Amino acid sequence: MAVTAAEAEVGPETIDACRRGDRAAFRTVYNAYKDRVFSIALYTLHGNADLAADVTQQVFIKLMDRIASFRGDSEFSTWLYRLVTNACLDAQRRSKSRSLAVDSNVLETLPDPASLEKAFARTQTAELVKRAVSALPSKLRLAMLLRYFDELSYEEIAVALNCSRGTVASRLNRGHRLLAKSLAHLRGTQGLEE
Amino acid sequence: MTMPWSHVDRMIPEYCDGRLSAEDAARVEAHLERCAACRCAADDFRFASALLTRLPVTKAPDSLWPGILAELDSRNKKTDRESFSTGSSEKDSGSVFLSARRLVLAATTVVAIGVAAYWYSSRSPSESWQVSATASNAGIDRVAAGRWLQTDASSRLRINVGSIGFVDVAPNSRVRLGTTRASEHRIELERGEISAQISAPPRLFFVDTPASTVVDLGCAYTMRVGDGGEGRLRVTLGWASLEWRGRQALVPAGAVCQTRQGAGPGTPCFEDASVQLQQALDALDFRNGGSGALDIVLAESRSRDTLTLWHLLPRVDTADRGRVFDRIVSLTPPLPPDVSREKVLQLDPDTLERWKEALTWAWIWPLQPTLNGGVK
Repeated sequence: MAVTAAEAEVGPETIDACRRGDRAAFRTVYNAYKDRVFSIALYTLHGNADLAADVTQQVFIKLMDRIASFRGDSEFSTWLYRLVTNACLDAQRRSKSRSLAVDSNVLETLPDPASLEKAFARTQTAELVKRAVSALPSKLRLAMLLRYFDELSYEEIAVALNCSRGTVASRLNRGHRLLAKSLAHLRGTQGLEE
Repeated sequence: MTMPWSHVDRMIPEYCDGRLSAEDAARVEAHLERCAACRCAADDFRFASALLTRLPVTKAPDSLWPGILAELDSRNKKTDRESFSTGSSEKDSGSVFLSARRLVLAATTVVAIGVAAYWYSSRSPSESWQVSATASNAGIDRVAAGRWLQTDASSRLRINVGSIGFVDVAPNSRVRLGTTRASEHRIELERGEISAQISAPPRLFFVDTPASTVVDLGCAYTMRVGDGGEGRLRVTLGWASLEWRGRQALVPAGAVCQTRQGAGPGTPCFEDASVQLQQALDALDFRNGGSGALDIVLAESRSRDTLTLWHLLPRVDTADRGRVFDRIVSLTPPLPPDVSREKVLQLDPDTLERWKEALTWAWIWPLQPTLNGGVK
């Protein structure tokens, strides 16, 4: 897993300090992971920033509530992302946001290649990718986000999603194929050649 | 294995990510050469991977942190209330001591609630600080957050910390004003000395120094930073904490703690501890003093110095940890019922916290009556 500079500060001492209720250590953990947690929530919850903010807040409060139960059997980040995925799936269920059927509709509403005269610009491409990822079934989407945002190993993703390593590979495969299909018109765009 | 006739969809992610063994990768390659469907799947995977690199990490809103803190604080207050309501179940033995402890805790809580109420009622959101020159009647200036302040050999400054207290800046000091808002007031002391007096709930005022951060836990203290970034915290009222990368030193009134760049806070000790203890502690913290220095610390410790010994538990190796444990027990018997040697040596966080709570009374009230009427 790739480690950011902020994450590198979250060592065993920091986790121990969190167990003792040390707010400064908690702040270190928060700073290290907040943006990725928020991003995963944002893309999982179809770009709903308010809901993503709520989920991010809940995740870190749960983290402090449950940090004593983290015994180091897995990587801390894996444990954290399990909280994240559970919170995202809970929020999705509660909000009764878009179902898979609606997801398919979103896929169908993606811009037509003919209307994409300037869609090759990086920001526009990013926007299209966001929408397409948001439209994927949530289980596939979460596996992909954990893989690409946090560069978790397949084993770590399996722990975070509470499934087998084979299921992770299967979800990644299906998710990528759906994404490639929905954005096929971007093939050949600069920087996106295979 | 007849891979060419058995599709490899599920292996494609790991193949494209380079996570397969050489043998499996060779088999997948052989299959891809013959199978257009799986070749297409691999192409899709690589294309989608390239697409995902365009997905930006989105910054979490700044407003989240205060909300998280507020929620944690409200939970802590609830827990405190619950712990008071169960106080009557204590056994008779030691009940006088426990009652006194609860009385003090209750009084502290009342004061804390009063302080909190005052703080909440009087706070005013601001991104600038009130600063005045203490040696003149020049009045108060508002100075924007982010500015550096420097005193010369004959000048002093007073910085108001919102409505929760003030900081006096000694001559020849350099201070940067950081954020100032309801949930956090923060300054940076690059060199020199400050004295702070804060009346507020814990963890609202922070002083960053080159070697550690001083966290106010409701107290008055002096922090001095030398030209090499080394620091010394001296607490005169209440508690403060020195923190750096998860390493923490809790410093009560009457105690001091050194800190060094790259090492963080050393071990706190009381100012009236013996010179030998203080010198040995310095060697232990910053000069690889080893077991020889620890021998001196153990021999020179009084019951009050269990403050130092408790902090040493996670900082010494396993063999020495047992010696530190034994010394604490010999100085402050008996061992609380929910604290065991095994758990302490394992550095179980809950056990260490419970023991600290029990020992705290020796640190706060140093003159413990003994059976023969003396004090120790």
